[in-house]
Amino acid sequence: MSQDIATSPPLAQDRVPVQGLCPRCGSAALAAYPVFSEGGWFDVVKCQGCLHSVSRERGPLLGALRLLADQI
Amino acid sequence: MSTVEISGVARLRDISEDEFHAAYGADRFTSSVLRSRLQYVVEHMSTAFMREAFSPIIRDWYDFACTISGPAEQDYPMAVVSNSLTPFLGTMADALRNTVVEYGVDRLQPGDVLICNDPYRGGRHVNDVLFIRPVFVDGRIVSFVNMCAHQLDMGGTVPGGFSATKQNVFENGLVIPPMLLWSKDEPVRSTFSLIFDNTRWGALLLPDFKSMLEQLKLGERLILENIARYGLEAYLGTLVYATDTSAERMRDAIALIPDGDYEGSALIDADGTDASVEYRVHVTVRKRGSSVEVDLSGTSAQARTSINAGVLDAKTAVGVALTMMLDPKVPFTSGTWRSIDLVAPPGSLVTALPPDGPTMMFWESSGALIAAIFEALNPVLGERGVGGDYGSTNTHNSHGLRADGTLWTSATQAGGEHGPWGATRHGDGDSYTVLYNLNNLDPATETIEHDSPVVMLRKGHAIDTGGPGTHRGGAANVRDTLWLTDASHWLSPFRTKEPSGVGANGGRPGPNGAMWFFPPRDDGSAPSGLVGFSDEEYAASEPIAGMLNIQTKKLDPQGVYHHFASRPVWKTSPNTVLRAMTNGGGGWGNPFEREPAKVLRDVRDEYVSVEGAARDYGVVVVGDPALDPEGLRVDEHATAALRKGR
Repeated sequence: MSQDIATSPPLAQDRVPVQGLCPRCGSAALAAYPVFSEGGWFDVVKCQGCLHSVSRERGPLLGALRLLADQI
Repeated sequence: MSTVEISGVARLRDISEDEFHAAYGADRFTSSVLRSRLQYVVEHMSTAFMREAFSPIIRDWYDFACTISGPAEQDYPMAVVSNSLTPFLGTMADALRNTVVEYGVDRLQPGDVLICNDPYRGGRHVNDVLFIRPVFVDGRIVSFVNMCAHQLDMGGTVPGGFSATKQNVFENGLVIPPMLLWSKDEPVRSTFSLIFDNTRWGALLLPDFKSMLEQLKLGERLILENIARYGLEAYLGTLVYATDTSAERMRDAIALIPDGDYEGSALIDADGTDASVEYRVHVTVRKRGSSVEVDLSGTSAQARTSINAGVLDAKTAVGVALTMMLDPKVPFTSGTWRSIDLVAPPGSLVTALPPDGPTMMFWESSGALIAAIFEALNPVLGERGVGGDYGSTNTHNSHGLRADGTLWTSATQAGGEHGPWGATRHGDGDSYTVLYNLNNLDPATETIEHDSPVVMLRKGHAIDTGGPGTHRGGAANVRDTLWLTDASHWLSPFRTKEPSGVGANGGRPGPNGAMWFFPPRDDGSAPSGLVGFSDEEYAASEPIAGMLNIQTKKLDPQGVYHHFASRPVWKTSPNTVLRAMTNGGGGWGNPFEREPAKVLRDVRDEYVSVEGAARDYGVVVVGDPALDPEGLRVDEHATAALRKGR
């Protein structure tokens, strides 16, 4: 018995490069992306070297989910 | 402020009394007492609900949880949780915020009960309904007391709901957005009718809803009594103190991980459509100082049927995995995630979106995320590593008609719902417990047999199935049930291709399990006794799921995968036996360093065979474990020679 099996394709979270230096470690590797943590979703700019949050703004309540009811 | 700090954050034990009082509105002693009294509140609510519940999944499974959260101005901290289901507790902080904000916190009034069951707003699956009661003082909401409870049926295409075959949210069951079930302590008839018109067992749900209202009132009353006794400032401060305690303890635990990037993955065998697509949960754990970023990039796109999890479930799984591996005593509050950022590409197997990413079997996929984190961190944790568990509840869901024509339903009672844990540095893994991401009860055999036309024939551990190690993984559980009427079954084992019971610190994984039906005898009667494990008995079986030898139908890691939903519904005739064998737990440490006396004990107790003792542990046991178990002995000379040779 032979079976042709595929793996569902992988997804990735985009990280948008941001100009600037990390105030903690001096790295220029800053990137913007959403994170889910205590308190819900945040749109962050984080140092990719030391993970310091350079900025952290409240994100959409339900993350990527958009409700049609919000268009009422 | 403080003389001892971690990453610039003052430690609670080191701040002065004045600083503590300024931060939390009370002295240390009062805050600790008040936190403990609130713990009593949620446990009292839980005990009362369990005593009163009619639904078997509440009564026998403990499929509910109670929490206390703070008000909007504190950003809804979930400060106190009951000792119950972690998939509920982990989601309830965000679920409460999402539900209250969408409904409108300013619209809530004393005596209201707000509900929501949408997995994408609140996590879990549609059967799990969140009940929220605001607690008012002088016209202001100062807290929320909450329950989340599994309802035995929420409509959809499968009675009871537990199935991997549903293709979208419309087949999955009724979705309830944030809406009132009680308004100022008066039932909202339209909401009750919405539920009762869509569930198969409204008469069972109604008394449980009434009981939950009483438990919410109990929680509200006890909270108000505490506020009256200690003051509102101390109460609100204690909610923050409780979450700060979790945050600090998790921050300390994270510091145990060396800085670095660590990758892991775990496989879900297939969805409910066919066997053509596998799903992989991939995780990268980036750790720097006391911060962790858990990135789910690399995880498969969401499945075609109801095996997905939502992002709140993924967040829960991350919290469970880090708590289990690093410090199981971290209180599971919303503060657990303060130093953890989850990076979660939307639309994946564990961050599914509606309408085509239904989430019924969510804990299976979020459990795979836990396993992926174990795989990522076990190599760097060394002795602190933890063996993996049995990986899947191998859920069984069935129904049929009794001779009198009445409907019976059995949900999560007779598959491989319970099984082993992995071993740790502290000792062997338990052989019969719940998944790492669950925390529930095992229904009593007498109850199962009372509620459905079934006889529990066998419920025990399988030999040579604990992952070998200095500390042995828990043994797989094998359960045989005899079904007395025609029956329709849905069976959901998802982790039979790759070991879920991964080894730690040099230990070896436990083997994978499978499921079979054994048909009645030719005249339709039941087997004359227990179904055994002989070649002849397996040859007569009908394989359901797992990696099996195509000729013998017995377990074979190199065999052929059998798809659990190759028949969307498995229909059986009376006197059919279902066998569910779970995966084994992972071992910890080099098995050839296990004390021979422990191996001897395992042979006597039939956790390990004589052959397995030599093969897996290098211990030569002499004697007959079946006929003379107390006469067994270790051949020390032969053991030393065998171990030296390895």
